[in-house]
Amino acid sequence: MQSIYRMRRRLADDAMRLAIVAAFFIFMPIASPYFLNMKNMMNILQNISLQGITAIGMTMVIITGGIDISVGGVMAFCVWVSASLMKSGMPWGFAILICLGIAAVCGSVNAFSIGVMKIPPMIATLAMMNMTRGLQTVISRGTTLTGLPDSFQFIGQGMVFGVIPLPAIIIVVLYLLASWFMKRTVMGRNIYAVGGNPEAARVAGIKNRRVLFFTYIACSMFATIAGIIFISRTNSAPATLGTNLEMRAIMAAVIGGTSVTFGGKGKIFGTFLGVVIVGLITNGLDLMGVSAYYQQFIQGVLVLTVVMLEAIRSNHAARKH
Amino acid sequence: MDNKTIINMRDIVMSFSGNRVLDGVHFTLREGEVHSLMGANGAGKSTLIKILNGIHHPVSGSIEIDGVPVRIREPKDAERHGLAFVHQELNVCRDMTVAENMYIGNWARDAMGLYDRRKTAQNAAHLLEMMGIDLDPYVTVRNLRTAEKQIIEILKTLTRNARVIILDEPTSSLNEKEKENFFDIIAKLKHQGVSIIFISHFLEDVMQLSDRVTVLKDGLNNGIFTRGSFAKEDLVTAMMGRSVENTVYRPLDLTEGGPLALELQHLSVERKFSDVDMRIQVGDIVGVCGLLGAGKTEIARAIFGMESITSGKIILFGEEISQPRPDRMLAKRVTLLTEERKLEGFVPLLSIRENTTLSILKHFRRRVTINLDAQRKRAEELAASMHIKMADIEQPVGSLSGGNQQKVVIAKCLASLPRLFLLDEPTRGVDVLAKLEIYKILRKAAEEGTTVVIFSSELEELLANCSKIIILKKGRAVGMVDSNQVTKNELMAMIG
Ligand SMILES: Nc1ncnc2c1ncn2[C@@H]1O[C@H](COP(=O)(O)OP(=O)(O)OP(=O)(O)O)[C@@H](O)[C@H]1O
Ligand SMILES: [Mg+2]
Repeated sequence: MQSIYRMRRRLADDAMRLAIVAAFFIFMPIASPYFLNMKNMMNILQNISLQGITAIGMTMVIITGGIDISVGGVMAFCVWVSASLMKSGMPWGFAILICLGIAAVCGSVNAFSIGVMKIPPMIATLAMMNMTRGLQTVISRGTTLTGLPDSFQFIGQGMVFGVIPLPAIIIVVLYLLASWFMKRTVMGRNIYAVGGNPEAARVAGIKNRRVLFFTYIACSMFATIAGIIFISRTNSAPATLGTNLEMRAIMAAVIGGTSVTFGGKGKIFGTFLGVVIVGLITNGLDLMGVSAYYQQFIQGVLVLTVVMLEAIRSNHAARKH
Repeated sequence: MDNKTIINMRDIVMSFSGNRVLDGVHFTLREGEVHSLMGANGAGKSTLIKILNGIHHPVSGSIEIDGVPVRIREPKDAERHGLAFVHQELNVCRDMTVAENMYIGNWARDAMGLYDRRKTAQNAAHLLEMMGIDLDPYVTVRNLRTAEKQIIEILKTLTRNARVIILDEPTSSLNEKEKENFFDIIAKLKHQGVSIIFISHFLEDVMQLSDRVTVLKDGLNNGIFTRGSFAKEDLVTAMMGRSVENTVYRPLDLTEGGPLALELQHLSVERKFSDVDMRIQVGDIVGVCGLLGAGKTEIARAIFGMESITSGKIILFGEEISQPRPDRMLAKRVTLLTEERKLEGFVPLLSIRENTTLSILKHFRRRVTINLDAQRKRAEELAASMHIKMADIEQPVGSLSGGNQQKVVIAKCLASLPRLFLLDEPTRGVDVLAKLEIYKILRKAAEEGTTVVIFSSELEELLANCSKIIILKKGRAVGMVDSNQVTKNELMAMIG
């Protein structure tokens, strides 16, 4: 009985987002019969994998009460290093390990500035963004790198059972894992506690710094994993790799109900819905043949609408409370 | 006294997600009276006045002001009717000055219409002086003590020229002397014709101040008393449904020279306290008292590793602790109940289950995940032993009544089975019955070998529970007395 009550409460949190997703599935097939095609569905999952995977780490960081705007830069730099290593003949598995290592270092530097030096997250990660973007520009010199090893391309282009692209599976698995992690592990709950009230967490014996190190490292690594999948899928690493990635990830988290005004509030599942909503909007506009020139504007309007509806709903709920 | 009624709240019904907390409550306020509102923790007092403030919206019921039906939709509406509020939880802007906080939203303007910092500070200084309070208007509030913040909250209402002032537990962190100051302020206001709604758990204060007392119990009116026609016991019975016996307790006789739980040697923290010595025996309950600024809170925090120690030694169960830090002290089974529960006590969005087990989350680890059933079971035990009033164990602690939040924080401390339990103002905002429950729990813990140190400005509390009381004065420990051999008045003279 109680668990039904809890389940209802949980679903009520995501009611608005679930309704929007449902609306797409009801109305889009009318606008374009191709929408419900399996291939299109997989296409959507594949297209959202870059910002989708990045948004997992971003959600965690935002829940601690922080923000990480260096994800685009860190991802571009790390991925460029690994792509160059692959081209120079290093086995790609090894190159990926090295680039994840660099991502971990970047994340640690962020966490050090924020947790130890007490620099505001926006400033600390802005500096990191500039440093990594700068280094990436140095090694890329504005060129696009192509011709990655064939076997490496399987990560982004491989098909499972002939129909499901590997990136679609990776993104779903990562979301399930992260959601479970945040709900059921000590570190996951500590992330909520530190974001919800850092002082109380400290008094309760939680090592706030350790939690921040974990979260920022995870955030950089998620972004880098997303980047690896991306270059493997497109078989190229453009110089502009990851521009605006931070904004798209933050947007997904916010649509997903994560609070950027105070920490401790947000859910991985909500972010998943946020990412899916953005993906559906883009896909819908594509299918309806809306010119790319208008798309960004329309996307902006739709996103603002979603966030406002959500705000009205939660303000209303708070008032009833 | 037949003054006209200014506020008339009728049949107020309020529920939070199906949980009914006010069930047709009446409340009236006459011009120029002090009307107290009493009731156990969670009875609905704060909810009732938040409705009057426009923070909550009742399911049904009506409010009349000066005989005219009004709708109070938001705090601005209440302000327009001349109502000013001090809520139970402090709402100061920590990075603004004392003056800016007192006049928040009403700052003095200069000829150009811009914020006039000097004039605002002058006005504040004037008011502070009039009220006999020694505070610098230019100081940033972050650096103040809890009691000082509470005074600022009270002064804030005085800058509004309100005709009704509503105070929700305004004296919970004031000591005897500050309370006298506060009573003077109330007397002055009353003299000016201001009406006051006063919520408090201190029976003495309520008896002294009120013209009338309304008692709430479980969301219902349970008696209204007029000055001179009731005794303390009547109030307690109305609130609790039974009489409550105060008991004095003495910890087990400890032989001098037994093992020490905690020893401080010449402990100093720059600008806070210096050269403090303390020797506390295992299994003892010891009190620490002193005026505002004597260093109670600071010493407690220094032992727990939340202040950086400039010199001196902390010896815990015979082991010297060179650099205390909360997580390390917790690992050594030392816990601290902090003074400001909202700031440091709990995580508001997390449930009772998660907050009570926050320090011991690791113990529920089963391979990698938390064993939720075990965690819930432990939390339910803790909540039951503390008699926490809640809808269910998953209720966010932020939505509990103030006194019940305090119980959650104490439960969190006890969950880690401390060997040394430091408590800073443990019964702030807690009702009479719950207070005794907390004492009982501390006494039981002491009998089981936990050493308890209570830092408190409530002298009765110390006299009723501690074997010895350490007296602090201006950051120095000036003496230690046996509680059997002093009275409250003697103690007050010693700290003053
Ligand atoms: N926002 C909220 N959401 C859910 N329940 C709430 C909320 N605010 C209050 N309650 C519940 O309403 C009841 C009454 O709370 P209220 O704060 O009015 O008590 P109180 O009489 O002021 O107690 P105290 O003396 O402890 O301050 C409590 O059981 C509390 O849990
Ligand atoms: Mg209250």
